[in-house]
Amino acid sequence: MKLSTNWLKEITPGIKIDNKLIESLTSLGLEVSSVSKTKKDTIIDLDITPNRSDCLSIYGVARDLFSIYGKTIKLPKQKKISVKKSQLPLAKINNIISPIYSCLAIENIDNKVKTPQYIKTRLSDYGITANNIIVDILNYVMIEIGQPMHAFDSDKINGKLSIRFGKKNETFHALDGQKYLLNNNIPVVTDSDTVQAIAGVIGGKDSSVQTNTKNIIIECAYFNPEFVRLASKKFRLQTDASYRFERGVDPLMHSFAITRVLSLLNEHTTLHKTNYFQKANKSKIKINNKIKINIEKFEKILGQQIPKTKIIQILERLNFHPVTFKNMITIIVPSYRFDIENEYDLIEELARVVGYNYFKPTPLPVTTSANIGNNNFLEKYSPYFIARGYHETISFSFLPKNLQNNFIQSSNIITIKNPISEDKSELRTSLIYSLIKTYKYNFSRQIHDIKIFENGNTYTNYNANSMKEVNTISGLISGKNYNSNLKVDTKDLSFFDLKGDLLSIFPGLKFESSSKIKTLNNSCQALIFQNKKYIGYCGEISNELYHENSIKNNVYIFELFADDITMKSSVIYKKISPFPRVKRDLTILVDDNIAGRDIIDAIERESFKYMINIKINDIFYNRKEFGEDIKSVSIEFCFQDTNGTLTDNIVNKQINLIFNHLAKCFKAKLRK
Amino acid sequence: MQKKYSSLISTLKDNLTECDSLNELSLIKSQYLGKQGKLTLEFSRIKDSKLSERKELGRILNNIKIKINGLINKKSESLENTNKKRQLNFFDVTLPGRNISSGSRHPISITINTITKILNNYGFASVSGPEIEDEFYNFEALNIPASHPARDMHDTFYVTDNKLLRTHTSSVQIHTMLTNKPPLRIMTPGKVYRCDSDPTHSPMFHQIEGLCVDKDINFCQLKGLLINFIEQFFGKKMEIRFRPSYFPFTEPSAEIDIKFNNQWLEVLGCGIVHPNVLKNVKINHKQYSGFAFGLGIERLAMLKYGITDLRIFYDNDISFLSQFGVLK
Repeated sequence: MKLSTNWLKEITPGIKIDNKLIESLTSLGLEVSSVSKTKKDTIIDLDITPNRSDCLSIYGVARDLFSIYGKTIKLPKQKKISVKKSQLPLAKINNIISPIYSCLAIENIDNKVKTPQYIKTRLSDYGITANNIIVDILNYVMIEIGQPMHAFDSDKINGKLSIRFGKKNETFHALDGQKYLLNNNIPVVTDSDTVQAIAGVIGGKDSSVQTNTKNIIIECAYFNPEFVRLASKKFRLQTDASYRFERGVDPLMHSFAITRVLSLLNEHTTLHKTNYFQKANKSKIKINNKIKINIEKFEKILGQQIPKTKIIQILERLNFHPVTFKNMITIIVPSYRFDIENEYDLIEELARVVGYNYFKPTPLPVTTSANIGNNNFLEKYSPYFIARGYHETISFSFLPKNLQNNFIQSSNIITIKNPISEDKSELRTSLIYSLIKTYKYNFSRQIHDIKIFENGNTYTNYNANSMKEVNTISGLISGKNYNSNLKVDTKDLSFFDLKGDLLSIFPGLKFESSSKIKTLNNSCQALIFQNKKYIGYCGEISNELYHENSIKNNVYIFELFADDITMKSSVIYKKISPFPRVKRDLTILVDDNIAGRDIIDAIERESFKYMINIKINDIFYNRKEFGEDIKSVSIEFCFQDTNGTLTDNIVNKQINLIFNHLAKCFKAKLRK
Repeated sequence: MQKKYSSLISTLKDNLTECDSLNELSLIKSQYLGKQGKLTLEFSRIKDSKLSERKELGRILNNIKIKINGLINKKSESLENTNKKRQLNFFDVTLPGRNISSGSRHPISITINTITKILNNYGFASVSGPEIEDEFYNFEALNIPASHPARDMHDTFYVTDNKLLRTHTSSVQIHTMLTNKPPLRIMTPGKVYRCDSDPTHSPMFHQIEGLCVDKDINFCQLKGLLINFIEQFFGKKMEIRFRPSYFPFTEPSAEIDIKFNNQWLEVLGCGIVHPNVLKNVKINHKQYSGFAFGLGIERLAMLKYGITDLRIFYDNDISFLSQFGVLK
């Protein structure tokens, strides 16, 4: 809100416009976002939080500053007028929408008079364009004391005014030139025929006040914040009035507002008959709420004592009318403070007036952490990925519309109902899409050798009520082996580089050929298992992805479900043998379609004595020598005994046993 | 006699081991075989010995001469070889090392890590929660009813009529308080979403919230913790101010500003947990009190690393990322 300091000085003449004022405003919670000078005035721009609707006026700010300054407040000039109960221009008022509705009817007013310059300047400094004297004065009083008002041209009003909810398919032509389609949640002001205003939001075009308007009805109302907010949201229409009404306008200031308007109209134009009417159902609004607080509670929550006299003084200056009995203080909430509901609110009031700086920082008592933290996968494993040359990336969880359609059923995709744009309208079901996007971004910037990884959730819709988020860690590699030195050393990264990275970080993973994963190439993909549990997959990206993204280089990715991975938490030491290790190679011929893993598994299952390590170290094809679909597999064994040195005899015996087992399982032959 | 000669050989061997140039070698050669050389002198002494021994002595000395020559020649060859090798291939230690792995952690992760490490020292445990939330966890339980203007502070993405992408990680507080009894000290780093996109707002960003619920928790302690936290994070004394603000789930509420380049910048929101929130999670607010605070990770990372454009965090340009390679 823009605060004219000249105007403020009219209401609080004793106040000085200086740095202390700026600091006091911020310290009260009315944050100063900027200060600017105009020809004759200094304008302070305040960020008013949504709970402080009472400070959306010059008078409101002055009233809050009183709590610190204690300088007398001088009310602006008013012209007394008494309320008439008869000849109401009001028919039916829905008192849920408007528990208190007042209006001032004026006959024969001259609206051709020019608005005085000072009013125009203050309006424009606030950000409102001057219009005609009636509208300008209503806006002026709104800025001054916070009551939004609306003037109807009473010659355009048929019969009496009513307040009700809109009807289905009812339309309303507003003074902004727009037509709005109403419904039964929208509060409206009508005459006997048509809707003349959306209550608290905007007036109608037909009944709006023009320069030649003669007779007017000025509406001064309290509207239920909830309904104003609904209407304003529905039509995405925020006006100075709706902004105030939805946050709460003092329901007890109608006569203040009306008499102030009347005084200004009298001063600047000519008018004849005036009538002030009001319809009120005060039982429908919360006023005179009482709150009790034990004085010790202030110190308990704030952590530092404030002298009792100071507490009472502050509560008095805030117009809370404190009454003390022993340790209990009872206050009455002023009608303009919608934010004061309980004792914590009073504690905040006290703290902000004393100033948050008053409170000395104290240490938090030491405690042991409650055992509820979850194991952070990323923290544990990312250093290993980084050590192997991976850059961590973070991408949006959103993907463009239809990007995932080729790979997952559209019913499984979670879409955003109100996306900011089409390219951010679906939630990702896999991190692959994000990694490929990052790959392309960097590739187009001449970075072709890439290793990246990302941790984030993937989101899948299983049925209307079951949306699943999976904590996922995925990576991508492409190009030459990373940061190699001379050309002779460089090699294209392959599936086995990716596998090597994974096995270095998660020893013991098992890989199984697959063709299930649609984002991956049919003939180059593996499902990954840890202790027989499926924990993810890896492989080369599918031809479709190559094609769609115009990628020429080979790209390999992995995707792991972080929460399914068992993290090694502690180590139990195994005794080390002091005796020498013996290495042996065994080369066999087997059918080509026998997977290396199966051979290793078959041997490991038998737990041959002394065997401590086993590894396939060569695969070789020679059709002429071995025949079609036969491959030579070399297996390297390592043997060791914990009780003595192994002799050749013992080792040969084991190798024979192993070979016999392989011959039995796979019809393996010894390669001569 | 024999002993004397064998010591001659062993001294020579020592000399040769220490020798590393051909010049030095020729010097050694002349010391043994030159006109005044040690062996030459021995030869000249033959005539002083008995006639009967002369022949035998000559044979021994000759053998020694052959041995010495052999040793010197061998050394000479090896020295020449090394020289050749070095001249043929300059051994360039400045060439790149092999298999340099220069990965990096994302600055957002580094920032989260820095924060959680500091808070962990004060007993805060890291907790996570779902990003797709019900209105209850994201709004209602946090004292933000449907009609409340405070919802304007949160432009929310909806995925169904009542399911949304969480607008803050405060929702995790609710999950935690509903399933755990106080005393509680938790921190909740994570992604949050708001319908907002411009150079200073991103539709997805990261937040961390801290929550402490115990008997006798108060505002002065909140100040103490957060001042320490900020100074540890930036690694120096900072000009910090606490000012009143508004969050529906805390009362009193405060915003913390830090002075950077003579300007106050908002970095953190905090306050005493609103009694309605405690009531919503069935914690007795007469017995317990608590404080909560929340901050935007990107904002802190920008301040710490001097980054001015928020969007660079999500471009994942490797030229940007690799700048954070040495940090953990």
